[in-house]
Amino acid sequence: MHLASVVDVEATPEGHVRVLAASTEIGQGTNTIFAQIIADTLGIEYDQVEIAQPDTANVPNSGPTVASRTAMVVGKLVETAALTLKQTLIDAGVLDAGGTGDAFTRACRTYVATHGPLRARSTYSPPPGVQWDDEAYRGDAYGAYAWAVYVAAVSVDTATWETRIDDFVALQEIGRVLHPVLAAGQIEGGVAQAIGYALLEEVVWRDGRMANGQMTNYIMPTSMDLPPIRVFFEERPYVHGPFGAKGIGELPMDGVAPAIANAIAHATGAPVSKIPITPESLMDTIASAEDAHG
Amino acid sequence: MAEPAPRAMRLVVNGRAVNVDAHPMARLLDVLRVDLGLTGTKEGCGEGECGACSVLINGELVNSCLTPVLQADGAAITTIEGVAGADATLSAVQQAFIDHGGAQCGICTPGMIIAATSLLARHPHPTEAEVRNGLSGNLCRCTGYMRIFEAVMKAAAR
Repeated sequence: MHLASVVDVEATPEGHVRVLAASTEIGQGTNTIFAQIIADTLGIEYDQVEIAQPDTANVPNSGPTVASRTAMVVGKLVETAALTLKQTLIDAGVLDAGGTGDAFTRACRTYVATHGPLRARSTYSPPPGVQWDDEAYRGDAYGAYAWAVYVAAVSVDTATWETRIDDFVALQEIGRVLHPVLAAGQIEGGVAQAIGYALLEEVVWRDGRMANGQMTNYIMPTSMDLPPIRVFFEERPYVHGPFGAKGIGELPMDGVAPAIANAIAHATGAPVSKIPITPESLMDTIASAEDAHG
Repeated sequence: MAEPAPRAMRLVVNGRAVNVDAHPMARLLDVLRVDLGLTGTKEGCGEGECGACSVLINGELVNSCLTPVLQADGAAITTIEGVAGADATLSAVQQAFIDHGGAQCGICTPGMIIAATSLLARHPHPTEAEVRNGLSGNLCRCTGYMRIFEAVMKAAAR
């Protein structure tokens, strides 16, 4: 396999647990969910978990922070590495099988003082039944998909052909939701970005180069351009995800523009097939359709 | 035409008078970040479109990337570093951003908080429409704005 992601988890001399992974916190909540996974797996306090700086001089290669894989793939490695760490403490006789909290902290301190550094490693292997051929690039790239339904209510001004989104509902099934605020934040931000994708964000090409690569002339949604974005989750735990979680990052970019295009088509009868659906492109689409039928 | 010489100016930044030697057309953004080490104010676009560089000059909301420092000579400037209380107590807006998940990557957050602070000074009990309008000069790509609106409304209600 070309990439077998690796996560290490170590016990510190103070009795804390440190995660060593290459996944990067960019505000989406990587550090938070890794700490939650460790804390819940080991029965220790959230504040006893440290996340190492993701510098690959010091952390193993957990793969890139992309492809909606951090929670589902790397998070699972965090969980299994933590369980391996715990088993080492049990096998060394410093922790009872059910030991958590202060007992766990003491066990880490005792082990490190007696035996030296304690680090547990988890390396990715595909879940049972998932076949992936890394040479031919064929098979199941993921053990599971996340699912969503997006519904847009729009109003189209038939004089200016501007579209206003009046309401937007986003329903997701991402397995177990690890952190409701972070998960909803991903959806709200993704839906907003996808509204731009649907209605505003036109890349203009000139001689093979982007001609409108400035904020002045590449239009993205402002606070004035968005409807209320109503987010719901239906939880169906995924057996191979950490605490049942699946991925979420790319999901909200997938269905939003189609929902808006369908809503505009439903409102106007226009055979919308291209995004962004700018006022001028919608006007052209409708004029062409009328010419074709005229 | 000769390059303008550096010029001595005096700004009051977050309540403290500071002497600045800079070209009069130097961007206030750069004087704040580089000369004064106040890196909380961010450069998002350098075109006055994104609002990440927002500061208050004599209480007025401006894009510091478009402001020549000469225009700030003698003025009272508030940056994000000046929003919390003297004892580092977070303002109502700052605390509300934490409580309601109003920040993800954080690059828009200083400008958003400055803009929200300015809005609430002018409209202490804004409607959601007034909040959207008041923040319309601040772009955010991560959050989708929903929790930012919630944070500002909740801060206003306190």
